[in-house]
Amino acid sequence: MRALGPGSVSSFLKIILDVIYVGLWIFVSLLSIFTLIALLFSFNPDLLARLVPISDAVESVSRNGPLFASALGAWALMMGGWMLIVERLRRIFGTLTAGDPFHPDNVLRLRMIGLILGGLEIGRYIYTAMSHWLAPSSDSKVSFTLTAWFSVLVVFVLAEVFREGARLRREAELTI
Amino acid sequence: MPVRVNLDRVLLERRMSLTELSDRVGVTIANLSILKTGKARAVRFSTLDALCRELDCQPGDLLTFESGPPDSDD
Repeated sequence: MRALGPGSVSSFLKIILDVIYVGLWIFVSLLSIFTLIALLFSFNPDLLARLVPISDAVESVSRNGPLFASALGAWALMMGGWMLIVERLRRIFGTLTAGDPFHPDNVLRLRMIGLILGGLEIGRYIYTAMSHWLAPSSDSKVSFTLTAWFSVLVVFVLAEVFREGARLRREAELTI
Repeated sequence: MPVRVNLDRVLLERRMSLTELSDRVGVTIANLSILKTGKARAVRFSTLDALCRELDCQPGDLLTFESGPPDSDD
């Protein structure tokens, strides 16, 4: 199978990355809109009462609205983090398809991906702890996942590999 | 870098231009300029062979070592 060009693994991966990126864009946009709507209704229940004349629903929203909005907001933030990762992966892939995968910028991109992955994992701990504190009835527990931290480590190792690759590329450029 | 390239001196002695040398050895003028200005990180034996053949000189005529602090890798 070819490494680059039509019908290659990289072209297949590029399509996957593009589809995921567009999907995440739509998803994050919708989540942001829903978060704003949830915030609007939770802080202004009269507006909801005018739109939906069911008193139980209005009471439920005014009681659980802020929690629901914060959950949606946290979800939007997490998806935003994933979108940033995919965006950087697409840029790395752009350099690969241009025939220059060891571009110095890719080192920073990979490090940023590692940091975002770590940040998302820490954010998950904070979110789970806060939701447990705000809604004790929920069965959410802070769980330490070794796989997430292992993936962060893998990305940082890859960034170092790319740093060395970029140095070799520079040397190859100046070899006459 | 402690290794100095004396290509400009040898070219002057041979009364040869960089363009002419580029045509003879098959190395681009841009790459020969990098070599001449001492910005090159490495020289292939094949390039050195072609340069010595066309300039009728020894590798020692083109390269000299001067003691000094080595350059960093980055």
